[in-house]
Amino acid sequence: MRNYLFAALGALAIASPANATTIEMDVNGLVCAFCAQGITKTLRGFPATADVVVSLEKKLVAVATKDGQDIPDDDLKKALTNAGYDVKAIHREAETLDDVRARLKAKP
Amino acid sequence: MWNSTIVRLCAGALIVGVTANGIAKPIAFANGTTVMTEYGAGTMEEAQAFYAPTYWLSLGGGYLHLDSDRIDRTRDIEYVRGNYLVHRWNREDAQGNLFVWGGLGSATGNDFRGSKLDRELGFQADYETRRIYASAMSDLHESSAYSHRVDTVQLGSAPYAHDYEDLATWFVLQARRYTGDLHRGTECAALVRLFKGGAWIEAGVTQSGKPQVMAMFNF
Repeated sequence: MRNYLFAALGALAIASPANATTIEMDVNGLVCAFCAQGITKTLRGFPATADVVVSLEKKLVAVATKDGQDIPDDDLKKALTNAGYDVKAIHREAETLDDVRARLKAKP
Repeated sequence: MWNSTIVRLCAGALIVGVTANGIAKPIAFANGTTVMTEYGAGTMEEAQAFYAPTYWLSLGGGYLHLDSDRIDRTRDIEYVRGNYLVHRWNREDAQGNLFVWGGLGSATGNDFRGSKLDRELGFQADYETRRIYASAMSDLHESSAYSHRVDTVQLGSAPYAHDYEDLATWFVLQARRYTGDLHRGTECAALVRLFKGGAWIEAGVTQSGKPQVMAMFNF
Protein backbone atom coordinates (compact mmCIF):
# COMPACT_ATOMS: atom_id res chain seq x y z
CA MET A 1 0.00 0.00 0.00
CA ARG A 2 2.80 2.37 0.96
CA ASN A 3 4.59 1.64 -2.35
CA TYR A 4 1.46 2.51 -4.31
CA LEU A 5 1.18 5.79 -2.43
CA PHE A 6 4.79 6.78 -3.19
CA ALA A 7 4.38 5.81 -6.84
CA ALA A 8 1.20 7.86 -7.14
CA LEU A 9 2.83 10.89 -5.51
CA GLY A 10 5.87 10.57 -7.75
CA ALA A 11 3.78 10.34 -10.89
CA LEU A 12 1.75 13.35 -9.79
CA ALA A 13 4.92 15.38 -9.20
CA ILE A 14 6.28 14.58 -12.67
CA ALA A 15 3.00 15.10 -14.47
CA SER A 16 2.02 18.39 -12.89
CA PRO A 17 3.76 21.56 -14.09
CA ALA A 18 2.64 23.31 -10.95
CA ASN A 19 4.99 21.14 -8.91
CA ALA A 20 7.91 21.33 -11.33
CA THR A 21 10.91 23.38 -10.31
CA THR A 22 12.86 23.30 -13.54
CA ILE A 23 11.88 23.96 -17.14
CA GLU A 24 14.16 22.34 -19.69
CA MET A 25 14.42 23.24 -23.36
CA ASP A 26 16.19 21.33 -26.13
CA VAL A 27 17.65 23.98 -28.42
CA ASN A 28 19.27 23.85 -31.86
CA GLY A 29 22.19 26.13 -32.73
CA LEU A 30 23.86 26.17 -29.32
CA VAL A 31 27.55 25.99 -30.21
CA CYS A 32 29.39 28.82 -28.47
CA ALA A 33 29.62 30.75 -25.25
CA PHE A 34 28.14 33.85 -26.87
CA CYS A 35 25.02 31.85 -27.74
CA ALA A 36 24.70 30.78 -24.13
CA GLN A 37 25.40 34.30 -22.88
CA GLY A 38 22.62 35.77 -25.02
CA ILE A 39 20.09 33.13 -24.02
CA THR A 40 20.94 33.50 -20.34
CA LYS A 41 20.51 37.25 -20.56
CA THR A 42 17.16 36.88 -22.34
CA LEU A 43 15.73 34.35 -19.88
CA ARG A 44 16.87 36.28 -16.82
CA GLY A 45 14.61 39.05 -18.11
CA PHE A 46 11.50 37.08 -17.06
CA PRO A 47 10.32 38.15 -13.58
CA ALA A 48 9.60 34.50 -12.75
CA THR A 49 13.14 33.34 -13.52
CA ALA A 50 15.25 32.34 -10.52
CA ASP A 51 18.28 30.99 -12.37
CA VAL A 52 19.39 29.66 -15.75
CA VAL A 53 21.78 26.89 -16.80
CA VAL A 54 22.97 26.32 -20.35
CA SER A 55 24.75 23.21 -21.58
CA LEU A 56 26.32 23.38 -25.03
CA GLU A 57 27.15 19.69 -24.88
CA LYS A 58 23.58 18.61 -24.18
CA LYS A 59 22.05 21.45 -26.26
CA LEU A 60 19.99 22.16 -23.18
CA VAL A 61 18.68 25.32 -21.56
CA ALA A 62 17.26 24.90 -18.05
CA VAL A 63 15.32 27.56 -16.17
CA ALA A 64 14.44 27.46 -12.48
CA THR A 65 11.42 29.54 -11.61
CA LYS A 66 10.67 31.33 -8.37
CA ASP A 67 8.42 29.56 -5.87
CA GLY A 68 4.88 29.16 -7.14
CA GLN A 69 5.64 30.80 -10.49
CA ASP A 70 5.85 29.46 -14.01
CA ILE A 71 6.65 30.74 -17.49
CA PRO A 72 4.29 29.67 -20.29
CA ASP A 73 5.79 27.55 -23.05
CA ASP A 74 4.76 30.05 -25.70
CA ASP A 75 6.66 32.83 -23.91
CA LEU A 76 9.78 30.68 -23.60
CA LYS A 77 9.64 29.61 -27.22
CA LYS A 78 9.12 33.20 -28.36
CA ALA A 79 12.03 34.42 -26.22
CA LEU A 80 14.47 31.87 -27.64
CA THR A 81 13.23 32.39 -31.19
CA ASN A 82 13.71 36.13 -30.76
CA ALA A 83 17.21 35.39 -29.47
CA GLY A 84 17.98 33.59 -32.72
CA TYR A 85 17.63 29.92 -31.76
CA ASP A 86 15.26 27.05 -32.53
CA VAL A 87 13.46 25.32 -29.67
CA LYS A 88 12.88 21.62 -30.35
CA ALA A 89 11.09 20.70 -27.14
CA ILE A 90 10.09 22.09 -23.75
CA HIS A 91 9.61 19.82 -20.77
CA ARG A 92 9.31 20.27 -17.04
CA GLU A 93 11.29 18.19 -14.58
CA ALA A 94 10.73 17.68 -10.87
CA GLU A 95 14.29 18.50 -9.90
CA THR A 96 16.23 21.52 -8.77
CA LEU A 97 18.67 23.39 -10.95
CA ASP A 98 21.49 22.01 -8.78
CA ASP A 99 20.27 18.53 -9.70
CA VAL A 100 20.42 19.53 -13.36
CA ARG A 101 23.97 20.89 -12.92
CA ALA A 102 25.04 17.66 -11.23
CA ARG A 103 23.45 15.57 -13.97
CA LEU A 104 25.18 17.65 -16.66
CA LYS A 105 28.55 17.32 -14.97
CA ALA A 106 28.20 13.56 -14.54
CA LYS A 107 30.00 11.65 -17.25
CA PRO A 108 27.73 9.55 -19.48
CA MET B 1 60.45 26.52 -42.22
CA TRP B 2 57.77 28.14 -40.02
CA ASN B 3 56.99 30.75 -42.67
CA SER B 4 56.67 28.24 -45.49
CA THR B 5 54.46 26.01 -43.33
CA ILE B 6 52.08 28.91 -42.64
CA VAL B 7 52.02 29.80 -46.35
CA ARG B 8 51.15 26.25 -47.37
CA LEU B 9 48.41 26.00 -44.76
CA CYS B 10 46.98 29.37 -45.77
CA ALA B 11 46.97 28.35 -49.43
CA GLY B 12 44.80 25.43 -48.41
CA ALA B 13 42.51 27.77 -46.50
CA LEU B 14 42.09 30.00 -49.55
CA ILE B 15 41.22 27.04 -51.74
CA VAL B 16 38.54 25.97 -49.28
CA GLY B 17 37.12 29.42 -48.74
CA VAL B 18 36.26 32.35 -50.92
CA THR B 19 37.28 35.65 -49.44
CA ALA B 20 36.95 36.18 -45.81
CA ASN B 21 37.11 37.34 -42.26
CA GLY B 22 39.39 37.72 -39.36
CA ILE B 23 36.86 38.95 -36.90
CA ALA B 24 34.02 37.52 -34.91
CA LYS B 25 30.32 37.98 -35.54
CA PRO B 26 29.16 41.58 -35.96
CA ILE B 27 26.03 40.72 -33.95
CA ALA B 28 26.58 38.69 -30.80
CA PHE B 29 23.08 38.49 -29.32
CA ALA B 30 19.91 40.52 -28.82
CA ASN B 31 20.19 43.47 -26.43
CA GLY B 32 23.93 42.97 -26.38
CA THR B 33 26.84 45.33 -26.89
CA THR B 34 29.98 44.24 -28.70
CA VAL B 35 33.30 46.06 -28.42
CA MET B 36 36.12 44.84 -30.63
CA THR B 37 39.66 45.94 -31.38
CA GLU B 38 42.14 44.41 -33.80
CA TYR B 39 45.81 45.08 -34.43
CA GLY B 40 47.77 43.78 -37.38
CA ALA B 41 51.35 45.04 -37.36
CA GLY B 42 52.13 47.06 -40.50
CA THR B 43 48.77 46.40 -42.13
CA MET B 44 45.69 47.51 -40.22
CA GLU B 45 44.22 48.58 -36.91
CA GLU B 46 40.52 48.67 -36.19
CA ALA B 47 38.18 49.36 -33.30
CA GLN B 48 34.42 48.85 -33.35
CA ALA B 49 31.44 49.12 -31.01
CA PHE B 50 27.95 47.87 -31.84
CA TYR B 51 24.66 47.57 -30.02
CA ALA B 52 22.17 44.93 -31.13
CA PRO B 53 18.49 45.68 -30.36
CA THR B 54 17.64 42.29 -31.93
CA TYR B 55 19.61 39.21 -32.89
CA TRP B 56 19.46 40.19 -36.57
CA LEU B 57 20.52 43.84 -36.44
CA SER B 58 23.26 45.86 -34.80
CA LEU B 59 24.22 49.50 -35.12
CA GLY B 60 27.39 51.27 -34.20
CA GLY B 61 30.63 52.61 -35.51
CA GLY B 62 34.33 52.23 -35.70
CA TYR B 63 37.73 53.44 -36.69
CA LEU B 64 39.97 51.81 -39.29
CA HIS B 65 43.61 52.59 -39.99
CA LEU B 66 45.25 50.99 -43.02
CA ASP B 67 48.93 50.94 -43.98
CA SER B 68 50.51 49.91 -47.25
CA ASP B 69 53.67 48.01 -48.13
CA ARG B 70 53.85 49.39 -51.67
CA ILE B 71 54.35 53.06 -51.05
CA ASP B 72 53.97 55.18 -47.98
CA ARG B 73 50.17 55.16 -48.16
CA THR B 74 47.84 55.33 -45.19
CA ARG B 75 44.09 55.56 -44.61
CA ASP B 76 42.20 56.66 -41.52
CA ILE B 77 38.47 56.04 -41.66
CA GLU B 78 35.85 56.80 -39.01
CA TYR B 79 32.49 55.28 -39.80
CA VAL B 80 28.99 54.46 -38.67
CA ARG B 81 27.66 51.10 -39.74
CA GLY B 82 24.66 48.79 -39.63
CA ASN B 83 25.01 44.99 -39.56
CA TYR B 84 22.19 42.73 -40.70
CA LEU B 85 21.84 38.99 -40.25
CA VAL B 86 20.44 37.78 -43.57
CA HIS B 87 19.97 34.21 -42.42
CA ARG B 88 20.92 31.87 -39.61
CA TRP B 89 20.99 28.12 -39.92
CA ASN B 90 20.52 26.41 -36.56
CA ARG B 91 21.36 22.73 -36.53
CA GLU B 92 21.56 20.30 -33.63
CA ASP B 93 25.36 20.55 -33.44
CA ALA B 94 26.13 23.52 -35.66
CA GLN B 95 25.25 27.05 -36.59
CA GLY B 96 25.78 28.99 -39.82
CA ASN B 97 25.26 32.68 -40.45
CA LEU B 98 25.23 35.11 -43.33
CA PHE B 99 25.73 38.77 -42.39
CA VAL B 100 25.86 41.87 -44.58
CA TRP B 101 26.66 45.43 -43.57
CA GLY B 102 26.87 48.93 -44.91
CA GLY B 103 28.02 52.26 -43.60
CA LEU B 104 29.22 55.78 -44.21
CA GLY B 105 32.25 57.53 -42.85
CA SER B 106 34.90 60.16 -43.15
CA ALA B 107 38.32 59.23 -44.52
CA THR B 108 41.67 60.94 -44.59
CA GLY B 109 44.86 59.71 -46.21
CA ASN B 110 48.35 60.82 -47.14
CA ASP B 111 47.80 60.54 -50.89
CA PHE B 112 44.79 62.86 -51.17
CA ARG B 113 43.77 66.17 -49.69
CA GLY B 114 41.18 66.80 -47.04
CA SER B 115 38.58 64.28 -45.99
CA LYS B 116 36.45 62.14 -48.27
CA LEU B 117 33.06 60.54 -47.82
CA ASP B 118 33.74 56.84 -47.26
CA ARG B 119 31.20 54.20 -48.25
CA GLU B 120 31.45 50.72 -46.76
CA LEU B 121 29.89 47.43 -47.84
CA GLY B 122 30.66 43.94 -46.65
CA PHE B 123 29.53 40.45 -45.88
CA GLN B 124 30.48 37.59 -43.63
CA ALA B 125 29.55 33.92 -43.91
CA ASP B 126 30.45 31.57 -41.09
CA TYR B 127 29.88 28.03 -39.94
CA GLU B 128 30.80 26.56 -36.59
CA THR B 129 30.43 23.52 -34.44
CA ARG B 130 32.04 23.12 -31.04
CA ARG B 131 35.17 21.75 -32.74
CA ILE B 132 35.35 23.34 -36.21
CA TYR B 133 35.06 26.93 -37.34
CA ALA B 134 35.16 28.52 -40.80
CA SER B 135 34.44 32.05 -41.87
CA ALA B 136 34.78 34.22 -44.94
CA MET B 137 34.52 37.99 -44.95
CA SER B 138 34.91 40.78 -47.44
CA ASP B 139 34.93 44.44 -46.42
CA LEU B 140 34.92 47.15 -49.12
CA HIS B 141 35.73 50.81 -48.47
CA GLU B 142 35.57 53.30 -51.29
CA SER B 143 35.48 57.03 -51.89
CA SER B 144 36.25 59.43 -54.72
CA ALA B 145 39.95 58.95 -53.92
CA TYR B 146 40.28 55.18 -53.41
CA SER B 147 38.64 51.80 -53.51
CA HIS B 148 39.99 48.89 -51.56
CA ARG B 149 38.80 45.68 -50.03
CA VAL B 150 40.03 43.50 -47.21
CA ASP B 151 39.19 39.83 -47.74
CA THR B 152 39.79 37.27 -45.02
CA VAL B 153 39.32 33.53 -44.62
CA GLN B 154 39.64 31.76 -41.29
CA LEU B 155 39.63 28.07 -40.52
CA GLY B 156 39.68 26.99 -36.90
CA SER B 157 39.87 23.80 -34.92
CA ALA B 158 39.30 23.31 -31.20
CA PRO B 159 41.37 20.66 -29.41
CA TYR B 160 38.41 19.95 -27.12
CA ALA B 161 34.69 20.74 -27.11
CA HIS B 162 34.11 23.53 -24.62
CA ASP B 163 30.99 24.23 -22.63
CA TYR B 164 29.54 27.57 -21.51
CA GLU B 165 31.55 27.99 -18.35
CA ASP B 166 34.76 26.49 -19.77
CA LEU B 167 37.68 28.30 -21.34
CA ALA B 168 37.36 27.74 -25.09
CA THR B 169 40.58 27.26 -27.07
CA TRP B 170 40.87 27.43 -30.83
CA PHE B 171 43.76 27.15 -33.27
CA VAL B 172 43.03 29.33 -36.27
CA LEU B 173 44.64 29.77 -39.68
CA GLN B 174 43.94 33.03 -41.40
CA ALA B 175 44.53 34.22 -44.96
CA ARG B 176 43.96 37.87 -45.83
CA ARG B 177 44.26 39.88 -49.02
CA TYR B 178 44.18 43.66 -49.46
CA THR B 179 43.15 45.17 -52.78
CA GLY B 180 43.53 48.76 -53.98
CA ASP B 181 47.34 48.86 -54.01
CA LEU B 182 47.68 48.43 -50.28
CA HIS B 183 49.55 45.14 -49.97
CA ARG B 184 50.90 42.56 -52.37
CA GLY B 185 50.04 38.91 -52.10
CA THR B 186 48.24 37.09 -49.33
CA GLU B 187 49.03 37.64 -45.70
CA CYS B 188 48.79 34.42 -43.72
CA ALA B 189 48.69 34.09 -39.97
CA ALA B 190 48.50 31.36 -37.35
CA LEU B 191 46.43 32.39 -34.34
CA VAL B 192 45.39 31.08 -30.97
CA ARG B 193 41.91 32.12 -29.86
CA LEU B 194 40.73 31.95 -26.27
CA PHE B 195 37.31 32.91 -24.95
CA LYS B 196 35.27 32.51 -21.87
CA GLY B 197 31.91 34.07 -21.09
CA GLY B 198 31.79 37.37 -22.94
CA ALA B 199 35.54 37.89 -23.33
CA TRP B 200 37.52 36.81 -26.36
CA ILE B 201 41.19 37.27 -27.24
CA GLU B 202 43.04 36.09 -30.30
CA ALA B 203 46.76 36.44 -30.92
CA GLY B 204 49.26 35.13 -33.39
CA VAL B 205 51.88 35.87 -35.96
CA THR B 206 51.93 36.34 -39.73
CA GLN B 207 54.27 34.54 -42.13
CA SER B 208 56.53 37.59 -42.04
CA GLY B 209 56.75 37.42 -38.27
CA LYS B 210 54.45 40.34 -37.52
CA PRO B 211 52.12 40.10 -34.54
CA GLN B 212 48.37 40.14 -34.88
CA VAL B 213 46.02 40.57 -31.93
CA MET B 214 42.26 40.84 -31.60
CA ALA B 215 40.14 41.30 -28.50
CA MET B 216 36.37 41.35 -28.20
CA PHE B 217 33.95 41.79 -25.34
CA ASN B 218 30.21 41.13 -25.34
CA PHE B 219 27.94 42.31 -22.56
